Amino acid sequence: MSAEFLYTIEVILNGLLTGVMYSLVALGFVLIFKASGIFNYSQGVMALFAALTLVGFQDGQVPFAELINAVLGTEIHGFGWEMPTILAILCALAVMLLFAILVERIILKHLVNQEPIILFMATIGLAYFLEGFGDLMWGSDIKALDLGLPQGGSFWIEDMTVSWAAEDSGFYGMYIDKLDLIAAGVAVALVVALTAFSQYTRIGRALRAVADDHQAALSVGISLRFIWVVTWAIAGFVALVAGSMWGAKSGVQFSLSLIALKALPVLMLGGFTSIPGAIVGGLIIGVGEKLFEFAIGPMVGGATENWFAYVLALIFLVFRPQGLFGDKIIERV
Amino acid sequence: MLYREAGDYKTSYVDDAQTFPIAFDRWRYYVVLVVAFAIIPVFISDYMAKSVMIPFLVFCIAAMGLNILTGYCGQVSLGTGGFMAVGAYASYKLMTAFPELNIFFVVLLSGGITAAVGALFGLPSLRIKGFYLAVATLAAQFFLVWLFNKVPWFFNYSATGQITAPPRSVFGVDVTGPEVPAWGAYLFCAVFVFLLAWLMRNLTRGRVGRQWMAIRDMDIAAEIIGVNPLRTKLSAFAVSSFYVGIAGALFFSVYLGAAEPTEAFGINQSFLVLFMIIIGGLGSIFGCFAGAAFMIMMPVLLKNLMVDGMGWPTTIATHFEFVIVGALIVAFLILEPHGLAQLWRLMKEKLRLWPFPH
Amino acid sequence: MSIHAAEAASDDVAYASQEEAHGIEPRRIGGTVMEMKNITLRFGGVTAIKDISFDIKEHEIRAIIGPNGAGKSSMLNVINGFYHPQEGEIWFRGAKRGPMKPYEIAQQGIARTFQNIALFKGMTTLDNIMTGRMTMMKTNFWQQAMWWGSAQREEVEHRRRVEEIIDFLEIQAIRKTPVGRLPYGLQKRVELGRALAAEPKLLLLDEPMAGMNVEEKEDMCRFILDVNDEFGTTIALIEHDMGVVMDIADRVVVLDYGRKIGDGTPEEVRANQDVIDAYLGVSHD
Repeated sequence: MSAEFLYTIEVILNGLLTGVMYSLVALGFVLIFKASGIFNYSQGVMALFAALTLVGFQDGQVPFAELINAVLGTEIHGFGWEMPTILAILCALAVMLLFAILVERIILKHLVNQEPIILFMATIGLAYFLEGFGDLMWGSDIKALDLGLPQGGSFWIEDMTVSWAAEDSGFYGMYIDKLDLIAAGVAVALVVALTAFSQYTRIGRALRAVADDHQAALSVGISLRFIWVVTWAIAGFVALVAGSMWGAKSGVQFSLSLIALKALPVLMLGGFTSIPGAIVGGLIIGVGEKLFEFAIGPMVGGATENWFAYVLALIFLVFRPQGLFGDKIIERV
Repeated sequence: MLYREAGDYKTSYVDDAQTFPIAFDRWRYYVVLVVAFAIIPVFISDYMAKSVMIPFLVFCIAAMGLNILTGYCGQVSLGTGGFMAVGAYASYKLMTAFPELNIFFVVLLSGGITAAVGALFGLPSLRIKGFYLAVATLAAQFFLVWLFNKVPWFFNYSATGQITAPPRSVFGVDVTGPEVPAWGAYLFCAVFVFLLAWLMRNLTRGRVGRQWMAIRDMDIAAEIIGVNPLRTKLSAFAVSSFYVGIAGALFFSVYLGAAEPTEAFGINQSFLVLFMIIIGGLGSIFGCFAGAAFMIMMPVLLKNLMVDGMGWPTTIATHFEFVIVGALIVAFLILEPHGLAQLWRLMKEKLRLWPFPH
Repeated sequence: MSIHAAEAASDDVAYASQEEAHGIEPRRIGGTVMEMKNITLRFGGVTAIKDISFDIKEHEIRAIIGPNGAGKSSMLNVINGFYHPQEGEIWFRGAKRGPMKPYEIAQQGIARTFQNIALFKGMTTLDNIMTGRMTMMKTNFWQQAMWWGSAQREEVEHRRRVEEIIDFLEIQAIRKTPVGRLPYGLQKRVELGRALAAEPKLLLLDEPMAGMNVEEKEDMCRFILDVNDEFGTTIALIEHDMGVVMDIADRVVVLDYGRKIGDGTPEEVRANQDVIDAYLGVSHD
């Protein structure tokens, strides 16, 4: 096999793995959108906040340390202990659950029956709030997240693939990050779990009922508010998973919240209401942007990943406004 | 008691449709004009101009632009930062390519160029609606900023990738470059704000504005009663971008002096302007001013209070800014979706009856 | 000649002379304004309208009736170009209609109201009705931007016409109220005003009396008849209230399951066996 071809394969594989990560974030959007019709812009910041909380618990940080120090003139930073990862994850989950309850109590309850675009703007506000709040609580410095997962390139894959190319082709085997592989596995498990949850549990059925028709669901005795808390909590859980995967890869920092911006075109492509759409859309965009950068990028100065996904989604939407898997939009008078 | 309409009879449709139907409002308007154009320029300090007045004026223009698109025509855009960049780079290219051209026309032309780019990116609005469109406008944001970063022609192949505004003057007074007097820069921006606010009022009070609002309130019905949706939406995109382009040109040439796209025209700028019109009031000219004033003043006040007043680190003040802005956005959307402008209107309603309860 | 007929005839004479005295053209049904020829409309596999033909004559009130799902609203949507039929021809004022967008059809002089009120909620009554005159405004964008001069003159000119409509519909008091705050019956009236403001050659009314109480219905009937009398406007309307339809319509077309099952004067339609079957059901024994 030629080195050229193998490089392309490597790019595609890496694109697929990145795409899985995008799908993971997009999944959180789809869940909330289906259950409450809210396009939750704060999903990315939720991922950041969840990851910050996880690290905070792990390292035994004192919440609001910076603020307390500034107000009281003290010099506290940490409790001086380290929490086991599992316990920290559970604590972070509890925080996300609390967050879901508060969001429902303070925001959603008052915005029932508002136009979708108003709700969208409210979640932008929520994103800002949560970003500032997370930084106040845990500090804004870059933190390393260690979940005890293997990292770095997989030698096994490198060794295996290096023999595929000719000896002197300069091809040293494919570089595939082990963490990416694990993240892909986690994402698949998450999707399977969520599908099972929504298909086979009582709450899952209620979720689907609400997604289908709010009023009809209300009339058969499903509590909308409870369902909203559940969806936001699940979205918080997905955010925690996504946040810790990205965080483990590149550190927990502000840029983590920007993955939400990457998930948006994924959603436009896949349709806001479709879980398979989010996954396929994520894969298409992951592969598409990596291939585009690999093939065209060098000619136009690189860094095309910043916009490629958006422009792709935009062009696609102009021809198919409902996305890949969305229902056809029929306009009525 | 002074603030009332009783006794102020309107005898023609022209009188009935005037901008300030209440005499007191008309006088207040003239007072504001006198203060803005005759008093502030005399007393303005460099600090006031740099940190409050000029950004306020520039963002008034940007907020008016976005309000035309979002508040009047109902199309949410998150690409404001990108369009401001178009205005900035257009003004830079015009200033360097035609050094003889008066800066006033440079700014206007930059607005025109941005209008064309905005209309181009507005094309998908015919097919995509609501937040799909909002997300689609992010394509403009990211693509444009990338373009200005990567194509050297735009920054005249300068080594740093930055653009720097050369000195230009109006009536012999510098308004761009290193030696700008505070009052000169202020007045230059204020004239644009005045003209553009007047233009916005004209456009929104007549046929054009009604077409925009018809599309905003119910696009299908609007089309059925005779509104051409493509032309209407594109005109909103073009006019909006014209404003945003002028804001970008002034932001770069008068306020910053030197700029680099990722920092100066990033997505945060888009959100900032969006927040201005939400807090100020969608579909209101006064709201643009109120929102811009609020969003510009708040960080300055917070910084003064927390950093200078209480000696806290700047980072905490910044975090608080995020928390407060976010909470306010949510609070306004819940409590008063029409923003400060609506609060102002309600206050005036009350005043009209005062001191009687009904 | 029976006494009743004689009375009716003398009434007609008095009516006509009164109209002439007011300088209003007496209402006379004229030639065909619109003709639908073999219209078929499908949504995917569902046929909403199957091979329907009928015409609308000048100055008449033409009612389209039928049970739910008969294809009435779809028919209206075909007439104003929101739906494009797969088969059939539409002739308007002597010309065959090519593929046109809804707004172009509105500019040709077809205005309508909607079953579920479709007013512009954020605008005042006045602005809503002014929007109806949009197709007649001639000033361009730049004149609008300058305002002083032609745009303002034009605005005042149209405002005068709109005020006449406001007087006609007796909604002076709510002129500057945002329509979102108005009660249902008034919203319906404002919507009629918006359609009238366009001075349409053909006015389509989609269930103008749905959800109204008796007084509101009577008011609305009066407005519809007055519009037809005073402005000579041709009206096509969909209505469920049979009493109303039989009272005010000149001719009625009856649809059922997307087919036409009856067409003619109210009396003829009332006597039509197919129509009676469709409305009352047929016993299958």
